[in-house]
Formats: sequence, C-alpha cells, structure tokens
Amino acid sequence: MLKSKTFLKKTRAGGVMKIVREHYLRDDIGCGAPGCAACGGAHEGPALEPQPQDPASSLCPRPHYLLPDTNVLLHQIVSAWRPGTWASVASSLRLPGSLETYVEQEQGENANDRNDRAIRVAAKWYNEHLKNVSAENQLQVIFITNDRKNKEKAVEEGIPAFTCEEYVKSLTANPELIDRLACLSDEGNEIESGKVIFTEHLPLSKLQQGIKSGTYLQGTFRASRENYLEATVWIHGDSEENKEIIIQGLKHLNRAIHEDIVAVELFPKSQWVAPSSVVLHDEGLNEDDVEKEEEKEQMLKTAVSEKMLKPTGRVVGIIKRNWRPYCGMLSKSGIKESRRHLFTPADKRIPRIRIETRQASTLEGRRIIVAIDGWPRNSRYPNGHFVKNLGDVGEKETETEVLLLEHDVPHQPFSQAVLSFLPKMPWSITERDMKNREDLRHLCVCSVDPPGCTDIDDALHCRELENGNLEVGVHIADVSHFIRPGNALDQESARRGTTVYLCEKRIDMVPELLSSNLCSLRSNVDRLAFSCIWEMNHNAEILNTRFTKSVINSKASLTYAEAQMRIDSAAMNDDITTSLRGLNKLAKILKKRRIEKGALTLSSPEVRFHMDSETHDPIDLQTKELRETNSMVEEFMLLANISVAKKIHEEFSEHALLRKHPAPPPSNYEILVKAAKSKNLEIKTDTAKSLADSLDRAESPTFPYLNTLLRILATRCMMQAVYFCSGMDNDFHHYGLASPIYTHFTSPIRRYADIIVHRLLAVAIGADCTYPELTDKHKLADICKNLNFRHKMAQYAQRASVAFHTQLFFKSKGIVSEEAYILFVRKNAIVVLIPKYGLEGTVFFEEKDKPKPRLVYDDEIPSLKVEDTVFHIFDKVKVKIMLDSSNLQHQKIRMSLVEPQIPGISISTDNSNMDPKEPERKKMKLKK
Amino acid sequence: MASVSLSEAEKVYIVHGVQEDLRVDGRGCEDYRCVEVETDVVSNTSGSARVKLGHTDILVGVKAEMGTPKLEKPNEGYLEFFVDCSANATPEFEGRGGDDLGTEIANTLYRIFNNKSSIDLKSLCISPREHCWVLYVDVLLLECGGNLFDAISVAVKAALFNTRIPRVRVLEDEEGSKDIELSDDPYDCIRLSVENVPCIVTLCKIGYRHVVDATLQEEACSLASLLVSVTSKGVVTCMRKVGKGSLDPESIFEMMETGKRVGKVLHTSLQSVLHKEESLGPKRQKVGFLG
Repeated sequence: MLKSKTFLKKTRAGGVMKIVREHYLRDDIGCGAPGCAACGGAHEGPALEPQPQDPASSLCPRPHYLLPDTNVLLHQIVSAWRPGTWASVASSLRLPGSLETYVEQEQGENANDRNDRAIRVAAKWYNEHLKNVSAENQLQVIFITNDRKNKEKAVEEGIPAFTCEEYVKSLTANPELIDRLACLSDEGNEIESGKVIFTEHLPLSKLQQGIKSGTYLQGTFRASRENYLEATVWIHGDSEENKEIIIQGLKHLNRAIHEDIVAVELFPKSQWVAPSSVVLHDEGLNEDDVEKEEEKEQMLKTAVSEKMLKPTGRVVGIIKRNWRPYCGMLSKSGIKESRRHLFTPADKRIPRIRIETRQASTLEGRRIIVAIDGWPRNSRYPNGHFVKNLGDVGEKETETEVLLLEHDVPHQPFSQAVLSFLPKMPWSITERDMKNREDLRHLCVCSVDPPGCTDIDDALHCRELENGNLEVGVHIADVSHFIRPGNALDQESARRGTTVYLCEKRIDMVPELLSSNLCSLRSNVDRLAFSCIWEMNHNAEILNTRFTKSVINSKASLTYAEAQMRIDSAAMNDDITTSLRGLNKLAKILKKRRIEKGALTLSSPEVRFHMDSETHDPIDLQTKELRETNSMVEEFMLLANISVAKKIHEEFSEHALLRKHPAPPPSNYEILVKAAKSKNLEIKTDTAKSLADSLDRAESPTFPYLNTLLRILATRCMMQAVYFCSGMDNDFHHYGLASPIYTHFTSPIRRYADIIVHRLLAVAIGADCTYPELTDKHKLADICKNLNFRHKMAQYAQRASVAFHTQLFFKSKGIVSEEAYILFVRKNAIVVLIPKYGLEGTVFFEEKDKPKPRLVYDDEIPSLKVEDTVFHIFDKVKVKIMLDSSNLQHQKIRMSLVEPQIPGISISTDNSNMDPKEPERKKMKLKK
Repeated sequence: MASVSLSEAEKVYIVHGVQEDLRVDGRGCEDYRCVEVETDVVSNTSGSARVKLGHTDILVGVKAEMGTPKLEKPNEGYLEFFVDCSANATPEFEGRGGDDLGTEIANTLYRIFNNKSSIDLKSLCISPREHCWVLYVDVLLLECGGNLFDAISVAVKAALFNTRIPRVRVLEDEEGSKDIELSDDPYDCIRLSVENVPCIVTLCKIGYRHVVDATLQEEACSLASLLVSVTSKGVVTCMRKVGKGSLDPESIFEMMETGKRVGKVLHTSLQSVLHKEESLGPKRQKVGFLG
C-alpha cells in the first residue's frame, strides 16, 4: 500500500522546501515469533526466542518479551545488553513501517509524539497478535519507556508499561544489572540542589557562528598527564599562530574530556600564562573542595618571563564528545553503605568518574570499564555507569585486556561478516588462480624465521643461471589475492592496520585461516606468492629486476639458528644449503654497500621472555641474539622493498604508498654529542654517513659496552618513520636506511600497508585489476594516517606488554641487585639501563617523606651531583630492582641505588645482603 | 488564441439561438456549464487545484518560497503568475505558440490581484525588508474548451484557498544576524483568506445579447467580450474588453450588471464546494488525474 509522507525542510540557502516521499507499506513483515501461523515464514532475520527466558521480574511474573523505546535502547544498549537477560524484540523496530501499525502524524502532534504513538500501537498490536498465536503461553509484551507521559498513555491504552528503572529493579535474579543502567537523572532537579561549578556550554549553533567569525577557535582537547588542572587544545586548520592553546584551571577546562573536539575562547595577552611544571594529581575525594581547587590553581601561576607565556583560553563549548568506555579501578567511598563511588581511570588524562554501584566491595581491586553518561554543571566529576568487570588487578588476562583497550587496539574476534569472505576450506589452487601467475614450484625456495613463527610471509631462493649469474628471488605471501578491495575483510584489516605482537599473544590483522595457513608460506605445500626476482652478478649488482605473481612450494621452513647451522656446517651440500650460502654471500656484499652509503645500524635492547609452558609466567628474560642469517633475510627484504618502491612510484607517481624516515633536526643529537664528549669521543651528526662512521669509530677498549650504549642513545634521537602517499609529499628520503625511496612490501600478513603496495604492484605489472579508491590520493592519505596511528599504538602496546611482563618477572624474582649504566641524567634522577635484562628505569633522588638531598645539576656536561657523588652519563652503577605495588593501578618497577654509596640515599648493603638470598632460594625452586 | 472555425450557417444558428435565450447545449444566457473543482491534487506544492469547465481543463499550483520584499512595499509579500499553455491543449501551442496567450492571461491575473483588498499581502511578510513569502502561481492549461479566463480565475482562487504556508519564526541573536526557524509540525501553517479574491466573469456579446461562459463555438460568433472581475460581495475590481469589435456604453453597463449578478452566485457556490471538500478531512479519497 502506498502512502505519501510530506515534510518541510530548510535548505542550506535559507529557503524552505517541501519534500514529498512515497511510502510503500509492506504487508509481509512477520512478528518474528517462531511458529506464528498468522505470519508464516514472512519473517526474515533474527527471530524471537520461542519461549522467552524468564528473567524473574517481580512486576510481571509471566514470560514476556520487552519492547524498549528508542531512547531506552540508545542509552542502555551498551550497558544493559547481556544475552539472555533482555529477550528484546529486535524486529519491533521495523514494525512501525508495516501495514497494521503505520501511524500518520496528526494535527497538533509533533514528530516525537508520533513516534511514541507508533511504538504504543506496535506494542498493542504485538500483545493482541501474540494472544492469537499462543493463548496457552500467555506471552506478553512489556513496553519499556523512560518518558513519563508516554508511559501514562500506554497504561491508559492497556499496554503493560514500565520505566527502565522500574523494570530492572524488579529483576530480582539479577541485582547487578541496576549498576549498568545509565544514570539519566533529570538535570533540572540537580541544578537546584547543588552549587553550580561550571559555566554553561554554548549551543552548537552559536559555536559555529563564533568559529566562523573567528571569536572562538575549534580544536582537539588534550588533557595533561601530569597536571589535572591543565590541558592544551590543538587548533584545527593551518594557521601558524595560536596553534596550541593552554587551558588552566577547572573552570576554564569546563568539563571537556581528553580527545573531545571543543571550541575555545582566546584570552587577551595580559591573561596568558606559561605551562606549569608542577605535577598535580587529583586526589580529592570530597565533592565540596572547590575552594581548595582554587588554591591549587594559584599554585600553577608561577612567575615567568614574558617569553614563556603561551596563548591561553577557556573552553566555551563542546563540538563533539569523544567519550569511550574507560578502564580503571574503583576508589571505594569512605562512607559505609554508600552506593556512590569514584572511579579512577588508568589513563591519567581522564578525570575521575562518579558511578553508582551496590557491588563496590566485589569490584574493589578489580579492573573495570566505566562509561561516561554526562557531566552536569554542578558536579565536580562526570557521572557514569559501570559496564564490565575485566578481572583482578595483576591477572595476566586482565592486564592484557586493559593494555589493548587503552591503546585502542581492535582485538575482538572477527565478525561473521568478515569471516564470510574467507576462502572455503578445503582450499586448493584452481585454474583461475593460475591466470597471470608463474609456476615457480620447481624452485628450491625456503623460509627463515624466528622460532615458533606461524605467519611466514617471506621465502627466498637463490640459484646459478646458465650464464654464470645468480638468480635471487624473494617470495612474499600473496595476501591481496585473498583480501579483495572493499569487502568486510578488507575493511576490517584496514582498520586494524597491523598485527600486534604482545609477549604471549598475537592480535592478528587478518583471520587465522589466512595468517597461519593459506597465506603462510609453509614448507611442502603449494602457496600463492608475489615474487620479486633479480638477476645479479657475483658482485651483488642487480642486472635485471622482475615482479610476478607466482605459485611456490617452499622446501623448508627454517629458524635463524637452523639456517645458520646449515651455512656453517661443511658437511651439508644440498640444494637448500647452497642456496642459503649464495644468499648469505650476496647479503654480506649488499650490507657492506648499504653501510657505505650511510645506513645506520642502531640498536635497542630487545628482550625476550622465557615463558613457563604451563603457567605462561615469564621465568627468565634475555636480550635477543642476532645472527648472520637475521641480517641475511633483512638485507633481501630491504632490497625487495626498495625495488618495489621504485616500481610503484614509477607507475603511480601520484598515489604510491611509500615509507619515509625524515632526518632528525640537529638539536635532537645534542644529548648524544654531549654524552660522547664526556667520554672523549666525537660523534658527527651532519649526515647519516658521518654519524654511522663516527659511531663505528666510537670504541673504548676499557668499556666494550659503550658502543652499544651510544647506539641506543642514537636511536632515541631518531624521528618516527611514517607511511605517506607519494602525491601528497615530496620528501621521500629514508634516513635510517639511506635510501632515496622505500616502502613496505614484504609482510602483508601483518601490515596493511603491504597489502596496498601489493595491489599497486599487481596493477603495475598487469596481474590484477585496479579499483577507484586505489588511485584516490586523499583516500590513500587517510589510510596512511590510520596506519601510522595503529603502528604507533601497536608499538606502545608492545612496550606496555613487555613492561607488564617485566613486572611479573620481578614479582616472582623478588628483589635483585644488578649492574647498570646511566643513560640519561635528569634534574632529580638518573635513568639507567640494565644490560642483563634490557631494562630501563629511573632512580629518583627525591622521595616524598625523606629529606631532600643536595642536588646540583649541570646541563652542559651533563652531570648530577648528589651530596658528594657526581653522576655522569654512562657511569656504571649498581641498582636494586623491586616491584612497587603501592599504587595498585600503576604497579611499576622501582630502582634504588646500591653503589656508589651515598649516605642516606643508597640502600645500605646490610639490607641488600639480606634480600638477594630470598630470590636465590626462589631461583632454586624454579630450577628444580 | 485557441479557436474553432465555423461555417456561416453554424454561426447564424448559434446567433439566432442566443437571440431566443436558447444556447446550443441547452443553457440559458446566464448559465454556467457544470464546474468540477478539486483541490490538493499536486502534493509537492503548497496549494493546488484543478478545475474543469466543460472541456476546459485547468491545473493551478501555488508554491510558497522565501524571498525579499519589493522595495516599494517593504512589509508585504507578493504573487507571481505564470501561465503555461501546454501543447496538450491544442497543437497551436506547440513551441512558443502559446506564449502570447500565456502572457495575456498572466497580465490579466496581475491586474485583478493588483489591489489591497483581494488578498492580504501583509500576512505574507516574515520580516520587513528582509524576508517575505513569494507565492508562485503556476497555471497550466490542459485543455481549451472556451472561457479560459473564468476557469483560470476559479482555479486560482481554489488553489489559494488550499495553500498552506509553513509557519516560520525569525530568531535574532546578539550580533544581529537573523536565522529562520521552521516549525517541525507540518500542521502548523498559515492559511490565506480568500474571501475577497475576485473571480472573472467573461461576457460575450453575441448579436444583441451577451452570454456568460461561452463555449469555443460561441466565442467564434462573438466580436467583442467584456471581462469583469468580481468579488464575492459583487464589487468589480477590474474590467477589460477583449476582441476586435466594439461595444456601446449602454450594453457595457448591462453586461457589468449581469457580471456582478452572475459573479456573486459563482462565488457562493465555489465557496460552499471548497468548504465541503475541506470538511472531508485529509482522509478524503482523491480523484486526481485518473478519475
């Protein structure tokens, strides 16, 4: 049946337009109840449960379905949805479009009223309909709404209706559900009761006008980690001045939360302030300490020179909230029986959140997730509600979950939609796959990877040609064959951007079937690959490069150690070994040539945990060992990446996805130069080449570890390498590798960038067809932005995971004393590196309750004089390592000085003599 | 102009008939043919009406759009007329063939509405000198069966009666910039008062007598006709002579009197039909174009 719907719309030009839409009402939408004869099979999509599970509501004892109204659904779905408890009528949302329940707007009725009435009609229809279906079951549909008027009207019309709160409270079997209700108390009532702390946010229309006219500035709000009363707003747009605005004081922050998009009003210059260097953490439990806050705010205002002043302003309105559920812990209220508690998020940039819960005692000491509902003007803290209990603090699962959530790593299992695009098993290579593909199965290809690697994305081969030259091939898993552009699988991998490797867990970018099976170039199975094949002479000069999609059959998957062993043992002379030897020989030449060009070899202390196979607790920690074969594989990967980068840039000069590594500004090197100078060494930093050379020369016969330390320091000076679209930038240089052009091609299983590069290359050689988004440089730039973000986050998550495992390790090990080197000297602390564990930590000389020692800091050398002892960079010290659990939320490794001895500062040897025995005993146990 | 060619004998037959107060279709000299009116026929207009008068078939759509008031009348809205002579009506209208007639009719409509009493233009003003409603009255000739002017004027009146203009509010902020806010209730709208909207009565001089609502054949027998626009109270707002013949002052006076008399009756019956239709409410089954 056809109905027409007419409505008026304001056009952008300010006119009024009348729009007429035709509505075709369907008469074939079923009620969704299985076994309903009247509707037959008319219903598609999710069906209702045949017999709704009885949630034991005291208000309605009969089995029933729930029909929540839109607002209830919107506000509560995140919190209240738990399978089984809410046998919700999902299909009911579609009902207002069907024939029996269509409602036309009446005179004097606004759109909301109409919707309310439509839902009531639907509820009524359902109740009558279900009565017909199964009279004996007496199924009921309960209408849930928070709108008082709507509820009254529904009750008048004979529909069983409750507010959300009433209903949830009646669920006697599930008392914990109440906590999950989003608190939506009428804001109007609270204003009367409480004191208004904040000024009102301006409405969006005014903000937009203000931004247009320039009175307000729009930007992203970034709270400070160190000081809860300070934040900066990064102004959007390209204007050079006032790029960063400081906001100080609770009132000026005006309820903005980290990552919100806000509008700021800039103060006149006379009110500008300098960023304060005070560390302030919000510790007040009491609500009424607003006056105290003002005192604290005074503290921020330090007398500073004119130059230090930065643009300052205040938040006038919120353009877009960027709230997400936050991880953290409950700070239980001091008042007994109180249901209101404060929640302290793990991220220090997020304010504490007030939540209401009855299960405070069970939630104490656990990591929980809380969502913010709102921040009324009279409240010191935002209001929120409890969402999920992650588990006990310190539990491995819980902490992993927390660090994934906090680093925004998408780690949910792949959805059905994504999985539906996977190839059907059993999979085999078909004729169609062979189109545009070379058969390289006869080649003696092998892969070399770290032990335990299941996602093998590269394999190599090397053979002598008839003309005496060498043919070297790098074969990369052909992931783009399986992930077709634009489908759900592609979108999901693009979103994830990278596989995240944690200490004991891998968060895959693509589903496991692909990552560990179909794409993984395992030995003795046919696999699709993308090959890059060079013809080289024995001097490792490339004579000819060619790219092709191929089929390979790897003859062996080796670990680095195995490969090394084959190369070294003279007894082995099979095809694989000769191939490896050829590769190794060429790699050495390539590496030498690369280093001559100025590529940097930097180092960072990488650690590996030895896990207990049963408990998955770390037993031992060791730094990664590097073998010749590591660098052999690396060398060819670099070569392949560079070759591919050249090719795709040649073919697509405007939209090739490349990777660059900008040269760091000279000021970054200051610390390195100074540090070397203190050891009478000279580091030149004018070019990458001179840096590499001077690093090579910086050796000290008495101090063999010095060179490594210098390289670690040099790493810290570097900039972040980033992906970019060639059409959007003109500086392609990769500083670290000393290559004019570079991209990522060799790990498509774990990096999305490689998939795009594969697609570009496939189009370039005519092996695959293109698609519109591939040649849209703005889309590509967006992808790059996301990838760069994901890579950074993945790195942080990885570091956090290592840090957590280090904690676990020291927790089991107890207190140990180790030798360490000073990496940095700070004003009140030294940063040390313990080579044995690759662990870095800070030794503080100022402690809260202890008298402050005499500290003299010299920025030039740099050195720090504590009482009578002077600390220089690279000095060898001895430190005691222990786990500091005083703050449950942020457990950390604490280090204190043992040697050299400074009275009152370093830990006396008697104590440290006693402690090490303890871990000794533990170690013995482990050995057994 | 749409016309038919008649033989001399036919003309004599018609003229003689009129002389005897006997018209070819059996009407008297002051009788209208049966008029069919339906409003709200085009849903994406603000108001519309379709009028059938014998074979004459007219569709009028009124579209309200926001505009700026004319300089000389800063606190009034205004009406714009456009007449489209569709080639459906007669092949003569093909191409630009109907332009002259269209302009003539549009000009006539401008003239009869060019006075303060016919419609309250002040109610169309939103904010003086800045915003007002402009009513675009589009007339579409679907078929010509004589007496176009009368049929069009009836259709325009019916369409204006049917017109619903959305109610808007002007919001002013501190900086003086104005913003227009639209009511989100589609029933919240302004209706125009059509009490004083005049209708045209065309009187055709045939022989010594004059007839109202002439058919095409009758128009072919007439050398001159008088177009009188009359309000429901019988007030003549505008008068115009059409055709190449001349009229003597005495007969003009007679024709005006007839015009007033007939016009009043026309208004009353139109008004009652419109109210009757409205009382059927929005659930009324529409006849539309297929009926």
